[in-house]
This record gives sequence, C-alpha cells and structure tokens, in this order.
Amino acid sequence: MGLFQKLAFFLGIRRKEVNVLVIGLNNSGKSTIINHFKDEEEKVAEIVPTVGFNVEKFQNQNLSFTAFDMSGHGRYRDLWEHYYKDCHGIIFVIDSSDRLRLVVVKDELDLLLQHPDICNRKIPILFFGNKMDCKDALSSVKIAAGLGLDKIMDKPWHISASNALTGDGLQEGVEWLTQQIRETIVTRN
Amino acid sequence: MSSFKRDKKEEEDGGGNPFQNIEKTTVLQEARLFNENIINAKKCTHILTKILYLLNQGEQLGATEATEVFFAMTKLFQSKDVILRRMVYLGIKELSSIADDVIIVTSSLTKDMTGKEDLYRAAAIRALCSITDATMLQAIERYMKQAIVDKNPAVSSAALVSSLHMTKMASDVIKRWVNEAQEAVNSENIMVQFHALGVLYHIRKSDRLAVTKLVARLTRMSLKSPYAVCMLVRIAAKLLEEEETGNDSPLFEFIESCLRHKSEMVIYEAAHAIVNLRRTTSRELAPAISVLQLFCGSPKPTLRFAAVRTLNQVAINHPTAVTACNLDLENLITDSNRSIATLAITTLLKTGAESSVDRLMKQIATFVSEISDEFKVVVVQAIRALALKFPRKHSVLMNFLSAMLRDEGGLEYKASIADTIITIIEDNAEAKETGLAHLCEFIEDCEHTSLAVRILHLLGKEGPRTKQPSRYIRFIYNRVILENPTVRAAAVSAMAQFGALCPDLLENIQVLLARCQMDSDDEVRDRAAYYSNILKQQDKTLYNNYILDPLQISIPSLERCLREYILTNTEEPFDIKSVPLAALPTEEEKQINNQKSDGMLITTGPVKPIPVSREENYSEKLSTIPALQQLGPLFKSSDIVELTESETEYVVCCIKHCYTRHLVLQFDCVNTLNDQLLENVRVQLDPSEGYKIVNEIPCPKLPYNEMGTAYVVLQFPEDLPNTVGTFGAVLKFVVKDCDPNTGLPDTDEGYDDEYMLEDLEVVLGDQIQRVNKVNWGAAWEEAGNNFVEMEDTYSLSSMGTLEEAVKNIIQFLGLQPAERTDKVPEGKTTHTLLLAGLFRGGFEILVRSKLALADGITMQLTVRSTDTDVAELITSAVG
Ligand SMILES: Nc1nc2c(ncn2[C@@H]2O[C@H](COP(=O)(O)OP(=O)(O)OP(=O)(O)O)[C@@H](O)[C@H]2O)c(=O)[nH]1
Ligand SMILES: [Mg+2]
Repeated sequence: MGLFQKLAFFLGIRRKEVNVLVIGLNNSGKSTIINHFKDEEEKVAEIVPTVGFNVEKFQNQNLSFTAFDMSGHGRYRDLWEHYYKDCHGIIFVIDSSDRLRLVVVKDELDLLLQHPDICNRKIPILFFGNKMDCKDALSSVKIAAGLGLDKIMDKPWHISASNALTGDGLQEGVEWLTQQIRETIVTRN
Repeated sequence: MSSFKRDKKEEEDGGGNPFQNIEKTTVLQEARLFNENIINAKKCTHILTKILYLLNQGEQLGATEATEVFFAMTKLFQSKDVILRRMVYLGIKELSSIADDVIIVTSSLTKDMTGKEDLYRAAAIRALCSITDATMLQAIERYMKQAIVDKNPAVSSAALVSSLHMTKMASDVIKRWVNEAQEAVNSENIMVQFHALGVLYHIRKSDRLAVTKLVARLTRMSLKSPYAVCMLVRIAAKLLEEEETGNDSPLFEFIESCLRHKSEMVIYEAAHAIVNLRRTTSRELAPAISVLQLFCGSPKPTLRFAAVRTLNQVAINHPTAVTACNLDLENLITDSNRSIATLAITTLLKTGAESSVDRLMKQIATFVSEISDEFKVVVVQAIRALALKFPRKHSVLMNFLSAMLRDEGGLEYKASIADTIITIIEDNAEAKETGLAHLCEFIEDCEHTSLAVRILHLLGKEGPRTKQPSRYIRFIYNRVILENPTVRAAAVSAMAQFGALCPDLLENIQVLLARCQMDSDDEVRDRAAYYSNILKQQDKTLYNNYILDPLQISIPSLERCLREYILTNTEEPFDIKSVPLAALPTEEEKQINNQKSDGMLITTGPVKPIPVSREENYSEKLSTIPALQQLGPLFKSSDIVELTESETEYVVCCIKHCYTRHLVLQFDCVNTLNDQLLENVRVQLDPSEGYKIVNEIPCPKLPYNEMGTAYVVLQFPEDLPNTVGTFGAVLKFVVKDCDPNTGLPDTDEGYDDEYMLEDLEVVLGDQIQRVNKVNWGAAWEEAGNNFVEMEDTYSLSSMGTLEEAVKNIIQFLGLQPAERTDKVPEGKTTHTLLLAGLFRGGFEILVRSKLALADGITMQLTVRSTDTDVAELITSAVG
C-alpha cells in the first residue's frame, strides 16, 4: 500500500468504500435483495436470472457498498472464487422454502469456507434466510442448524430471516454487516 | 517520473511510440491493479490500452494468462468511468476467444446494452455477441430483437452487424429475427438500412426464391441508403448470373436504372455490375461504359481510379467497348496518381494495336520503379496478355520483364513475372531460349524457395529439348551447391531430366548425381540415389515412367487407399492401380477458382482447401453400399446427366460410375409434389445389347423435396464395341397420397405408377480417364515399339473450324490434350492434336489427330494402345 493510500486510510477516506460478494444458489433472491437497497430511480422493475454477475452500488449508513451479485446457477458457481480475494464481506442468500436443496447449499458453503482466499480471513458473513413469507419456509434457527453454522468459529456471522419482496429483515441484516466491516477495517491495521 | 524521461529519449530516437518497450509480463503484472478495491480509472485505462496494443502486435497469451486478466478486467465494471468501460468492452472482445468462462460478463453487458447510458449500448452489444455461444444465445435473444429495432441507429446497427457475425454459429436462431430485420430495413438511417439488408440477405441466401422476392420488393420501394442500394445491385447481379434467363428481366432493368441514381457510388456500382455480367450485348453494355468514361474525366481521383480499374478488368472480355474509351484513357497516362496512370496504360496495352506497344512500354518504364507491387503485378499481367496477342513483340516484352525481375519486389510480384515468362515460353517457341536464359539468371539470386523450385522444374522440362542443353546444367548444379534442401532436391530432379533425354550428357549427370548422394539432407540424397539408379539401367520405358512423367494419381486418394491397406492386413502387395487418378481441373473449374469474393458483407471464406477428385467424393459414398463393395476401385465418374426436364413432377439425374468390369448407374431423384410420398423407387432400364443387369438397389422412400438415390449395377459386354450404346429408362414407384402439411400418407395403400425418362447414352468417354502426359513425345515414340497401332482417316463435315474440331474431339474421346495442342495457333489451316488417357482395366491410350482444314475438316487419327480392342474401339467410335 502506497504512502498516500495509508494516509487516506487513517483519515478515514477509504473506509467509506466497501466491496461485498453476494452468493447463494440460483433463484434464492440475491438480485431481488440487492435491488431493494438501490436508490429508487436505479431500481429495475423486472428481475431475471443473472448470467455471470452484475455489479451494483448502494449506500448504507455512510458506507458505500459495491456489491458483486453473482449468478447462483450451477454453471457459474465455480466462478465465484475469482471474486473472493478482494471483498470485505459476504452476503450468502438461502431460499428458506427450498428444503430439498439445503444440502447443496451446505456443500457450497463448505467449499467457500475451505477456500484459501477465505479460510484464513476474519471476514464477516451475513446469511439471509430469504423468502420467509413462503408457507413452508424453514426458520433461521433450523437453517443455521442444517448448515452447521455454529461450527464457524473464526469468522463473525449472522443470520436474518428476510422477505426480499417487502424488504422485511433486510435492513437489520445489512446493519449488522456494516457494523462488522467497520470493525474489521479499523482493527486490520 | 522515469516514464517521462523514457518518452523524451524515444522522441530523440525518432521512435515516438510510447508503447515501444512494453513487455507482456510487466503489463500482466500491472493488470493486477484491476483488483484493487478503489479503481483508478485513468491508470486502468492506460494498462488496458497496453494490453490491447500487445494483442494487436500479435503477442500471444496463454489460456491461463488470458483468463486471469479477463477476470481482473471484469472487476472494472464497478467503475462508472465511461472511457474505462469502453476500453473494457474492447478488452472483452479481444480476449473472448482466448480466455475461459467469458460468459461471466453476460448479465453485466446485457444491463449496459439495455441501460440508460447511450455511450455504452452499441459497444456492449458488440462485446456481448463476441462472448455468446450458441447455447447462450437464447438467453439474450429477446434483448437482441429489441436492439435491432431500437431508435438509436448506433444500437440498431451494432445489433444487426453482430447478428451477421453470429449467423456463422447459430444461423437458425438468427433466422427468427427476420421480422425485426425487416422493420430495420425501413429505417431512415443509411447505415441501419444497409446492415439490415445484409442480415435479411444472409438469412435467405440459401433460398433462391426468397432472395428473388426480397429483391423484387426492395427494388420497388427505392431504398434511401446508397450503401443498401449498392448491395442490392450486387445481389441482383448475382441472381442474374445464376438465372439462365436473358437480360430483359426486371433485375437487369433495376441495375440499369441505378446508372441514373443520384449517388455516384451507386452509379459506379451499377456500371461495374453490368460490365462484369457474363452475358451482355453491346447495346446493354454501352450506357455502363459511358458512365465509366465520364468518371475517367472526374476531378475526384477515387472516381477516376474506380473507373479505370473496372475498364482494366473487363478489357479482355469487352475489347471493343473499352476501346471506345481510348481517348479518355490516353489522358490518364500522365495522371499524377501513379495507380491511375498504371491502370490506364495497362488497359490501353490490352486493347491497343501492335504499333502502340513500344510507345506505351516506354511510358511505363519511366515510373515503374515508383509504383507499388500490387500495380506492378497489373503491369505484368498486361504484358502477358500482350505477348500472347503479339508474339512478334516477345523480345521487347521479355527484356522489360527481365529488367523487372532484377528489381526489388515481393514474392507475388516476382512469381507473376516468372509465370508470365513461363507462359510466353510455352506459347512461343522463338522466345524459349531467351526466356530460359532470363530465368537461369534470376535463380542465381532468388530468395523465394517456391519460385526457385518452379523454375528448376521448368528448366528440367524445357532445357533438354533446346539446341544446347548443356548450358543449363551449370545453372542447375550451382543451386545444388548454394541453396537450401528444398531447392537442392528440385535441382536434382531437374538434372535427372537431362540425363534421361540427352544421352551425351548422361555420363556427366551421373557424376553430378553421385556427388549429390553425399548431401546432408535426406530428401536430396534419396532423389539422387533414385535417379542415378534408374539412369544406370539405360531403359527408355523406365525413363518415361519414373523420371519424365510424374505420378498421376490423386494424393488424397493414395492416402486413403494406403490407410485402408494397412487396416486390411493382407499378404498381397499394395496395388497402385487401385488408386484413382488425380482429377485434372476443367476449364470451368479453373475459372471458378479465379472468381473473386462477391462483397456481400460476409465472405464465405477460402473455398475448398484440398482439391479432391469427383471420383474421390463418390468413392466414399459408394463404398458404404455393401452391394458395390466387390466391384473393386472406382475408375471414373461421369458428369451429371439430366434425364428429366427441369420443373417437372419428378426430377431425375444420372451419374455413370465406371469400374473395371461394371457400370454403376446412380439415379438421384427428387419428388416435387408435396401431396405424394413415393416408395420403392427404381429405374427400369432397357440396356443395349450385351449389357447384363446384375443388381438393382431401389430407393425405399422418397418424401417431398428430399433427394433419394436408386442404383443399377450392370456388367459391361465382353465385346468392346458393344459398350457404347443407348439405354431406355422408366422411373417406377409406388405412390401414397399424403397431407401436404404433415407429409404423412392418408392411407397405407399405395398404387403403382411410372414416369418416362429420357434415354441414357453410355459413351466412350465414360470408360476413359484423362491422363496428363508431360512428355507426350517421348511416350509416343516409346509406344511405337510395344503398343498396338491403328490408323484411319475421316472427314468431319459438320465442323467449320479447327478450334471447333479440337474441342469436339477432346470431349468425345474424354482424353487429355498434351503439350498445349488444344490451342490452335491463329491463321493455321493444319493442326496436330496430341491426347493421352487410360481405359478402364488400366490400358494406356495415346492418340495423335492430324487435322486439315479444306471444305470441312479431314482428320487422320492414329491410336496407340496397350490393347488391340481398345485401339479398335476408338477408331471405330469416331467413324
Ligand atoms: N415469495 C418470495 N419470492 C422471492 C423472494 N425473493 C425473491 N423472490 C423471487 O424469486 C425469484 C428469483 O429471484 P432472483 O433475485 O432472480 O434470484 P437470484 O438469486 O438472483 O437468482 P440467480 O441470479 O439465478 O442466481 C424471483 O421471481 C423473485 O421475485 C422472497 O423473499 N419471497
Ligand atoms: Mg440474480
């Protein structure tokens, strides 16, 4: 890091820009969640399955977020890792009504946690148990148990139940993430 | 700071290219900057520029390197900097073919192409199409359709052009966009209209009727875009060429009307199209020529250039029409634009009189050193045409050529000079010695291996028959001492020719060949040993077969036969006779190869890389039919013979395949009735005397508009004269009426029906394969000792000229003319035509036909063959 950047860092200029990676299986609601955070005029009316990824920007509590909204389709999951290295936080979205694929979610999560670019970092992970409005939705406690979240010792994590269509639960989750990222950035140096 | 200094130093060096010293590894290192959380747009743009520069300089990136840069680059999508984003699009396009998983940017690009920022949209479409494969196309289809009809012309054009590019990988998807393209053709924007027409044409181009309709509709609506009109002219001209109808069609009318268009570009295009049409009368030509003539006097150099270039191209085909422009062309001789001057002079050379040759050549000589290679080639071509037209001028022209040969120039230029000298030598015996001398001098200092090899080959062919063959040996042997292995090997072969044809040089040649056997290169040593051993035998037949006449078989076939031979694992030795002979290109095929691309936005790419013979093509198909596998190797396949009129209910064509003892008739049938399904389709033959039908293979089903094939296998009659005859033929089949929409038969019951076909002729040429004898004279002499000879005299009353007689004899006998005797020199009343070929079963045929013109034509025909019956058959068939 150059001298100027270090200086900027201490002055808190840099602190305002953070990158987060949004991952999770296809159809879990990632793009819908990110769309919710965007400014009114930037919102898209119709959300289609993502092919590859999209970069989106939004603000939360004085922090500007750059979100890499990845595609959750099988063909693209191997490509998430290209974006692991430089992110400050991860948003992992789970379709809580999709009981069948919870095992697939667990596989993907385990791969993520074991990845060399992730495993040794104290990077905060925010889980959204999305689609909580669906009638056979699992509770966040059940999801946490199913995924074995309590075994994650070296990273701060948090799970919120959410409804991306109405926005319920989203704010709470992101506030937690903002808090965490502030802390890690301050303590990293 | 340091970079600033370097720039300054370079400027002093006169370089001034800031990218001169960049290096791949360094730039790839720098590209890691793309991964930073905060993007420095300016820096990243600069790095991307360097990457693009490197790629465009031909620097190769490995897949891993490219993928790494590519993914780093995808992170730049977070920057809102417009310039950087557009650089990213370019980067995506460049890397799309090298990096893996490039589809990762699909959504990001789709977002940009449909977004609010107009500066992004067109470029994003082009990038998107470069990363999309056939499987992904569905996902973006909806956006592409919208983009084609977008209000923004740049967006619409980008979408149309991208569609054109994608027809290569997914033409059936693009076909579904025809309605959108149709709408875009109505655009006010000239580029959009042009590109839309391109897409429409490409969607339909394989369907003649649809293209005709498209052209008919568009010619009526008067397109706004001159580019589109130009393209329409090209499409119309192409249709006209394909259609056999005369030029009174509306297509020609349309092209003609474009001569009065307000745009000069269109006027030129129309004139160009008309003068290049194959069948035009002088009346049709006149208005087009006057347009070109007018353009010759235009103050715009581009128009003068276009006009004179076109006149130059058609000068040979339409000399009188072009002569009408002589005055205008004379004015252009001194044009300050050298390209225009060159074209004007060479056009005049092509059409002018013998007396003007010296004057024009002098004029060219004043500036030939100043023009580019491409135009020098034009000059050379004009000289070639002149030399053929005015044989007496050969010394002037030859001197000019040899001076050009000594000048600097690239391979293509030098090759065209050498070609021309070779043509002149072959055409004009008087020019031979001087021509060969010039070529000898040239190879002393020739940097082009391929050219040196060709000239050595020619020296080997022509040198031994000159008055003083020994003088060429020194030039050839010098090559053995001084050149690379390829040239050395060619020189060895050339020397062997002298050994075989000049007995008094044989001893010296043997000494030289012995030295060549010490060469460091395998090929050179092998050839020297091979020739030396054959020459030791002192046997004329061996000389003819293994030195003077090269192998005639088709190389791809040889490869296939050898591969099959290895697989069959037999004890028998390989029989080279089982390999089909190489196809000699017909005049028509040669012409097709010379045709240029038609300029329809997308070229179809280089045509047919390896020439494969007709036999080779059929052989593959026929060998899959079990009943035909015992017939042995395919000897000869005839041209396609039509047995029905076109546009009848059923269309039947026949190809005659000749084997050693059998004749296989392949009947390709098409059923053009959409309410009929034909079954058990076969051809009932009434063969001429002596033929035996041994097998029939019907075509089980013939649905509407699909090609089906039925075969009949016949055994040739024992008596050769009976093999030539006429067969009656009837098409027999079972008809099932069916629903035109589904093609499914209404009932299971069908009824028998038949359809008369035209008679099928089996001719002499069907059983003869043409053979190119390089050294016909030697072979003829040799055949005098051990072949059968027959001779007869005929009067060919129906023919008026020697040319006509020569053409008919060649066609009738199916033999290959040798030593350029198929060309009758002008003004002669006698001519000798030399022919060679092979009869099925491997019997050689040599024919000498002496023709004399006097009240019709009399012909003395002498046939030498290894077989009496074959010789007799030929003499009797002519009668
Ligand atoms: N009922 C309900 N539907 C939701 C919710 N969130 C998203 N959806 C719907 O789920 C579907 C998929 O949402 P996306 O945002 O495209 O999902 P994604 O995770 O981005 O999918 P990929 O881009 O294919 O990986 C859409 O039809 C959304 O309307 C939710 O909380 N409740
Ligand atoms: Mg998505």
